[in-house]
Amino acid sequence: MINTHVTIQSMVLEKLKNMPLKFNFWLQILFILVFALVLFGPIVNLLIWTVTEVWYFPHALPSQWGFKYWHQVFNPYSNVSSSLFTSIIIAILTVCVCLLVSVPAGYALSKRSMPFRVFWMLLFLIPQAFPNLTVYMNIARLFYEFGLNGTLLGVVLVHSIHGLMFSVWISVAAFSTTDPMLERASRNLGAGPIYTFFHIILPQAAPGIIASCIFVFLESLDEFTGTFFVGAPDISTLPLLLYSASMEGNYQIASITALILLVPSILFMLIINKFMSPEMLSKLGK
Amino acid sequence: MTQLKIENLHAGYGSKMILNDFNLEINQGEMIALLGPSGCGKTTLLNALCGFVPASHGEIYVGDRVITKLPAEKRNITMVFQSYALWPHLTVAQNIGYGLKVRKVKTAEIQDRVNELLVIVKLEGLQNEKVTSLSGGQRQRVALARALAIRPDVLVLDEPLSNLDAKVRLNVRHEIKSLQKQLGFTSLIVTHDQEEALVMADRIAVLNQGKIEQLGTPEEIYRTPSSAFVANFMGAENHIEWQNDDNTLPAKSAQQIYFRSESVQVTVPSEKASSLSNDVHFDSDLTCQGHVLQSAFFGHHYRISVRCGAHTIQADHHSDLPENTPVTLRVTADALHIYNNQVETAAHHVPTSFQSNK
Ligand SMILES: Nc1ncnc2c1ncn2[C@@H]1O[C@H](COP(=O)(O)OP(=O)(O)OP(=O)(O)O)[C@@H](O)[C@H]1O
Ligand SMILES: [Mg+2]
Repeated sequence: MINTHVTIQSMVLEKLKNMPLKFNFWLQILFILVFALVLFGPIVNLLIWTVTEVWYFPHALPSQWGFKYWHQVFNPYSNVSSSLFTSIIIAILTVCVCLLVSVPAGYALSKRSMPFRVFWMLLFLIPQAFPNLTVYMNIARLFYEFGLNGTLLGVVLVHSIHGLMFSVWISVAAFSTTDPMLERASRNLGAGPIYTFFHIILPQAAPGIIASCIFVFLESLDEFTGTFFVGAPDISTLPLLLYSASMEGNYQIASITALILLVPSILFMLIINKFMSPEMLSKLGK
Repeated sequence: MTQLKIENLHAGYGSKMILNDFNLEINQGEMIALLGPSGCGKTTLLNALCGFVPASHGEIYVGDRVITKLPAEKRNITMVFQSYALWPHLTVAQNIGYGLKVRKVKTAEIQDRVNELLVIVKLEGLQNEKVTSLSGGQRQRVALARALAIRPDVLVLDEPLSNLDAKVRLNVRHEIKSLQKQLGFTSLIVTHDQEEALVMADRIAVLNQGKIEQLGTPEEIYRTPSSAFVANFMGAENHIEWQNDDNTLPAKSAQQIYFRSESVQVTVPSEKASSLSNDVHFDSDLTCQGHVLQSAFFGHHYRISVRCGAHTIQADHHSDLPENTPVTLRVTADALHIYNNQVETAAHHVPTSFQSNK
C-alpha cells in the first residue's frame, strides 16, 4: 500500500514537473507561429501572387497558377526589364557621385583641426531633417528651372542628396579610425601627401567606404519619392513601376518587381557578411 | 664630421613650447641616446627633426643641407615609431620596400634590397607574411628594416624596445647596436631606460624639461653626472642633504649628496646595538649608523633599507639581514656625487676630487 502511495505521489510530481514545461513549449510554438505569420504572411502572399494567373476575390487560393507574368516581365521589351536597367544605372551613378563627394569630404572632416567640422557634418543631415515630401517638391521645383526634371542626371542628383548622408557620415567614421601614425610613417619614408592618401589612408578606410557604397546603392534602388517628383514620367525605375502596377491592380507584376528588388539586398547582405568582420563594422560607429 | 646639427631649436605645440633653445650635434656614424623622464620632450624633438612638429625658431642641418622648413617627405631622416606603425594591408616585403617604391626604384632593385635587409634583420622567409601575423620582436625588425631601406641620412628611434618583453628586448638591443656598428648609420635613439642608453649609445644626452642637462660618453654620464638630476636619473637613488654647520660661511648652505646603493659598504658591528647612535657623518667619506628597516631579494644581492636618523638609505648587501639589525654604512669619497645649493659659497667644503662634478 505504501508502495502504491509512493508511485501515485511520484506520478503527480512528474505531471506537475512536466506541465509547466509543456505549457511553455506550446506557448512558444504559438508565439513563433504568430510571429512567422506576421513576418512572412505578406511575403507568402507576395510569392503566391507572383505565380498566379487568375485569382478571384472570395477564394483562398488562386484558381489558375502559372508563370505567364514572369515571361511578360522578362520579355526584353517589357517595361520591367527597362526599368530594372534604368534603376541599376541610376544606382551605380549615384554611388559614383556619392564617392566623389564623400571620400574627400570624409577625409577632410575626419581631421579634428578642420574648421566648422560639426557644421559641415550636419549639413549633410539637413535634408533628412525635413519631411521628405517637402524637400523633394522643392528640389523638383528647383530642378525644373535648370531643366533637370525628367532627366537621368536629375534623378541621380536627387538620390545622391539622400545617399550623401550615409556615405559622408560613414566615410568620416572610416577615416577617423585610421591610425595617423601610418600616415606619418609614409610621409617619413618620402611619400607625398597624395601618394600617401591613395596608398596608405584609402586602403585603411576601404571597408567602411565599401559599406557606405552598398548602403547608397540599396537606398537608390529602393528610392521612390524623389524619383517620383523629379523623374516621373520620363524616367521609370522599379519602385515607380511597382507603384503604377499596384495602382492599376496588376498585383502579379507588382509582386514580381518587389521580388526582383529583394535580390540585390540579399546579395549585398551576403557580401557584407562574407567580407566584413564585425569588428570592422563596429568601428564605423566610433 | 658632423652629420646632424640642431641649432637654437624652438619647437612645441601651438603656443606651448616644449623645446627651448635646443642644441645638439651628432657625428657621422654615431649613435646618441636621448635619455629623460616621461614628458621631457624626447618625442617632440624627434618629431621636430622629422618635420611633424614645426620649428618656430632655430635651424636643423643634415650635413650642410638646411632642412628646418622642408616637408616631412623631403628630409631623408627616417623614424622607427614607438608603435612601429607598420601598414597592415601590406606584406613584410612591401612594407620594407615602400620607401624605395616611392622613390621609383626599379622593381628588381627593390627586391634585391629587400632581400638583403631581410637577411640583415634576420627575417628571411617572412617576406610574404602580413605584418599583422608577426610577433612584437619581428614587427620591430620590419620597422627597422623599413627605415634603413632608403639609406637615410639619420635614423631616429622612438623607444624602439619599450613594447617588447624583457628577454626579447635584450636581444634586439644588441642587434640594433651591432647593426649600427656594421652599417655605420647615424642615429638618435630615445629611451627612458638608463641601462639601454649605457649599453647602446656612443654618447648620451640626458634631457630634463626640454633641455640637455648633460651630454657625454656613457662613462662620463655614469661616473661624473654633472647635476643632481642626472645623478638621480642615472641610478644614484640615495640622497642626503648635508647641512653645513661651519659658521664661518657667509650663508647657510646645504650640500646635496647622491650615491648608488651598490657603492654602500655594509658592516654589522660586533658591539651591542645600544652603543650605536643613529647618525650620518660626512667628512670626505660618508658614514652612517642605523637599523635595517627591510630587506628584499634582488637575485645576486639583497637590497636593504636602512634608517639612519632622518634618512632612509638603500644599500646592496650579499646576504639577508633581519629587521632592526644595527648596521654601519660607509660610502667612499669617489662614489659620492656632491652638488651645492649655493655653488659659490660652499665650494671649499667639497673635496678637491669632486670639483669637476659641479
Ligand atoms: N600633440 C600634442 N599636443 C600638445 N601637447 C603635446 C602633444 N604631444 C606632446 N605634448 C606635450 O609635450 C610634452 C613633451 O611630450 P613628449 O611626447 O615629447 O614627451 P616624451 O619625452 O616623449 O615622453 P615619453 O617618455 O612619455 O614618451 C608633454 O608635456 C606633452 O604633454
Ligand atoms: Mg615619447
